[in-house]
Amino acid sequence: MKTLKTFVGALASAALLGSALAVQPATAKDIVLRMAVPDWPPTRTMKDLADKHYKAPSGNNVVLEPDFIPWPDYYTRLAASLTSGEQKYQMAVSDSQWLGANIEGGYYMKLNDFIDADPELQAVFKDLHPTLVSAYSTYPHIGAAELAEVGFPHPDADYYGFPQMPDVIITYYRTDVFCDEGERAAFNEKYGKMLPCTPEEMNDVDWDLVANIGEFFGRKAGETLAGETLDDDFYGIAYQAGKAYDFSSMEINGFIWQHGGSIWDETNAPEGQAEGVVNSPESVKGFEHYLSMLKYMPPVVQTGTMDVFKVDELFREGKVAWILQWIGFGESAISADTSKVHDRVGFAMHPGLRMPDGTINRTANIGGQPFVLTTWNSDEVIREAIDFVKWWLSSEVQTMFAQGGGQSGLQSVHFSDDYASYRPWNHAFGPSLEWQRDVWHIPEFFELLVQQQEEFDKAITGQKSAKDAMDAIAAFQQELLTEAGHIE
Amino acid sequence: MRRQIGRAGWGWTGFSAVVSFIYFFPVLWIVLTAFKAHTDALAIPPKWIFTPTLENFVSVFARAYIKGQTAVDTNFDVYFFNSIFIAGSSVLIALIIGTLAAYGFSRYPLKGNNTYLFIILTTRMLPPIVVIIPIFLMFRVSGLSGTYLGVILLYTAFNLPFTIWMMKSFFDELSPEVEDAARLDGSNGYRVFFRVCMPQVKAGLAATAVFGLILTWNEFLFALLLTGVETRTVPVAMAQTIGGDIGVRWGLLAAIETLFLIPVVVVVYVLQNHLLRGVTFGTIRR
Amino acid sequence: MATQAQAAAPGGLKQHFSNWRLALVIAIVAIPGSVFLFPLETAFWVSFGAVILVTATVVTRAWGRRPGPLLVAPALATLLVMNIFPLLWSLGLSFFHFRANRLSPPRFAGLNYFEKVISDPNVWDRLQTTAIVVVLTVGIQLIVGFLLALMFEREFPGRRILLMLVLTPMMLSFVAVGAFFRYYYEPTFGLLSQAVRLVTGEPYILLASPEGAIAGIVFADAWMWSPFVMLLVLAGLVSVPKYLYEAAEIDRASWWRRFRTITLPYIRGLLLLALLFRTIEAFKLFDVVFLITEGGPGTSTETIAVYLYRVSFQYFKTAESSALAYILIFIVIVLTNLYLYFVQQREKEEEAPA
Repeated sequence: MKTLKTFVGALASAALLGSALAVQPATAKDIVLRMAVPDWPPTRTMKDLADKHYKAPSGNNVVLEPDFIPWPDYYTRLAASLTSGEQKYQMAVSDSQWLGANIEGGYYMKLNDFIDADPELQAVFKDLHPTLVSAYSTYPHIGAAELAEVGFPHPDADYYGFPQMPDVIITYYRTDVFCDEGERAAFNEKYGKMLPCTPEEMNDVDWDLVANIGEFFGRKAGETLAGETLDDDFYGIAYQAGKAYDFSSMEINGFIWQHGGSIWDETNAPEGQAEGVVNSPESVKGFEHYLSMLKYMPPVVQTGTMDVFKVDELFREGKVAWILQWIGFGESAISADTSKVHDRVGFAMHPGLRMPDGTINRTANIGGQPFVLTTWNSDEVIREAIDFVKWWLSSEVQTMFAQGGGQSGLQSVHFSDDYASYRPWNHAFGPSLEWQRDVWHIPEFFELLVQQQEEFDKAITGQKSAKDAMDAIAAFQQELLTEAGHIE
Repeated sequence: MRRQIGRAGWGWTGFSAVVSFIYFFPVLWIVLTAFKAHTDALAIPPKWIFTPTLENFVSVFARAYIKGQTAVDTNFDVYFFNSIFIAGSSVLIALIIGTLAAYGFSRYPLKGNNTYLFIILTTRMLPPIVVIIPIFLMFRVSGLSGTYLGVILLYTAFNLPFTIWMMKSFFDELSPEVEDAARLDGSNGYRVFFRVCMPQVKAGLAATAVFGLILTWNEFLFALLLTGVETRTVPVAMAQTIGGDIGVRWGLLAAIETLFLIPVVVVVYVLQNHLLRGVTFGTIRR
Repeated sequence: MATQAQAAAPGGLKQHFSNWRLALVIAIVAIPGSVFLFPLETAFWVSFGAVILVTATVVTRAWGRRPGPLLVAPALATLLVMNIFPLLWSLGLSFFHFRANRLSPPRFAGLNYFEKVISDPNVWDRLQTTAIVVVLTVGIQLIVGFLLALMFEREFPGRRILLMLVLTPMMLSFVAVGAFFRYYYEPTFGLLSQAVRLVTGEPYILLASPEGAIAGIVFADAWMWSPFVMLLVLAGLVSVPKYLYEAAEIDRASWWRRFRTITLPYIRGLLLLALLFRTIEAFKLFDVVFLITEGGPGTSTETIAVYLYRVSFQYFKTAESSALAYILIFIVIVLTNLYLYFVQQREKEEEAPA
């Protein structure tokens, strides 16, 4: 009985402690900006910089309080929080594709009035790369080309977000195997081409050369690689081909665009069709091209579970010579405690399709996330949030962020002379932005995405042909988009 | 002397040990991984002998999220507290009102007693996702989202059916003579319940609590969707080790799981004898 | 809160304050009615009030007279509010066009969504997958659990500790099981592939085919839950009276004969129970599938619970997911009924010889 009393007592004090923890200090000068963010270095760095350097210009004591949510559950958790009405977050770092769903739900705040009233914000938007404004801020979506042509402000644009971390897919490669003299000679003998070694050479790689690389570096255990005997199988290339989330669409879309095909284009709505566009011969050709190189990849690709994390892991464990990966993963590839190849990694731009005129078309799908403000904030909180964003997007802070491993969307920063010297992959960032496009932003995007990932996965795992998969995707999208009123 | 039936010697121990260790192997590997450095976790061929490190366990509570920075608090102390607090209080509440109900169902059957019991069992057998949709909506309009009260109420309801069924089976087994004798001695209903019945079902209470704890402890889906910033539990936070800048942090995931496993294993070991009744939700009596 | 519900009720309520039947009728009318008529917030508090009203009348009526209803009322009220009431609400929603993440108010849809779900080939495909997974995993669990129980039936040194080792898988969290089994099956690093490579020299890719992926999921789930079956069977084995074995030993009956004539009759009922119980549980299979294959390759391992998760929390088709949930509830009720039927059969059998 005595132990029971002790237990109840402990529980009661625990309850008190729990409620004490939940109570927020509510003095006028203390303002907490609670922000839903995915848990990874760019957001951790942001928190670190804010703690060390941020002083609110209003004189209020503003604390940035990010809620770090694991990536695998981030969408579910954020969507659950927003739709549950708990109104816990003043801001969020949102994947760009989620804009439509959460704007239509009334959760993300339109920023036009604030931008119109604030010359500093206008200056920021003029400095931002139009690709990023297009992908991260406009809803309904407006293409980068149109934004660049019209200039800022676009009369019809509704703005919702600011770039937090712009992300692009780039090439990571093993300098030790690519720069090995023996391998270079053997490669030249076999294909009559030069094996790229420097970033400049790697920037000139097209898909044909990628296929050669994939075939060339596929080695069995016991064979030699760069003069050393392998104790395990080694593979030439890897890029994302996983079923989860968007872990194949992000690469496949690039192939489709490069081959002149198209995904369903929301900027052409409601005239733009899905049927005949999504499964056009060019799109199918792009997808087939993507599929044709899977055979050079580690065997896990056959299971449809080779997501970006698995690609990253295979590279860090030294199982593959060349990968395509988000630039945001760079840090773990060159850290000694997480990477077995940390001292021999090179970076270059995303490869592409060689055009008849000899240039490379490297159109790819943009990643990264914008900040958004939620709709339930008081005027005071809104003002503090906007002030915080302005601080974040000042060139000084953006420079610190880039030095800490992040990327900056400000052209004045990422085209500055020093930018490439901050981190080894930075040189690949600025030029890549020209080639980025984004996937849909409409509220139904998750339905489109899940069905597309399923069909892609069937083709990746060999259950279906590329053509059949694309036909199924087109038919599904045509029906769903017509029903939703996006196609007339 | 004749061999005693059902007894086996050390030979059987050896055989069982081999089988048990094979069965236990996937868990053993998780525990081993918890003591490995990151670069050892995926070594080929797999490493059996390695220099154990406690680094992963330290990282559970404090680690540097940015390369080169000093280690910062991971909040896992809060998540462990939440797991303990939420599981503890909901199991306790469920135990109190569930035991009362079980006693009612056992001693004072209502009209349609079995129908009530059937409905109660049904609510426990639904896929969690089915119940989440409406609860989610209810939380949204009632303002319970992300509060301790909401989560505890939810898990109380989650534990109740099982508590009722199990405690009822324990009450059903008590011999009515003792209670009748107590009544004849002039004890009122409360006295009979607290002084006569409760001491006899202590073990049952303990077992029910343990099974409630195991189920609530590892529950993921309710926790993912219905816990807020302050009320997050360990299983949800655990997911941060399986994606981020680096994919799965094997050592860290294993270390969290190992720490998370210890309390349950200890409690279950202590209460092993009551386990048979526990797992069947009280529908089966010995 | 209760006042709103009372307002909707016929007059003369005060005289019937302890009339729980009337309160129940009011609740049955008020809850769907308010969901149909009022905005969500109001509907919630009206319905909540109705539930409180019913509980209050039950308690008032029973107070000091009949302890039965008094004792069960708090538990039933909690279940009503947290489980049964939300279920009724979602039943209401399934008749409306409604998405939880849109601003547009619900519009009446009739049986639209039930028709849609029943005629949806995806649903039938996922149900079929679920059935395959359930049959396989429950079958394996029964066999493995049975064999493990035979092993632990005897008393031997170290039994308690070894039993603990076998029970541990049940206590693991799904995130760790999912992540680590995905790693065990992984062709480059995975232990399974490594082991196979020692023999064949080639990496083994289990999850590449739909069959392999189902096998992988079934194995992980069966591994986790076979100890459950083991405990049930063990309960049966322990209950076999020892004198029967002693008699058989004197008769020099063969092991098989002893097993068939003595052991099996005692555990048959429990095996059936284990089968039904695990079937109902396996029907909920979600986390392991989601973490190991995400339902792939293609959709070949996507169970109905995963599909329901997508519809409700990824697509936010709230109404459609409610309709689908009701079809699942129907299936679960049928299974639960079967389960209880067998439990009662077993109790009768037990009582008969005594």
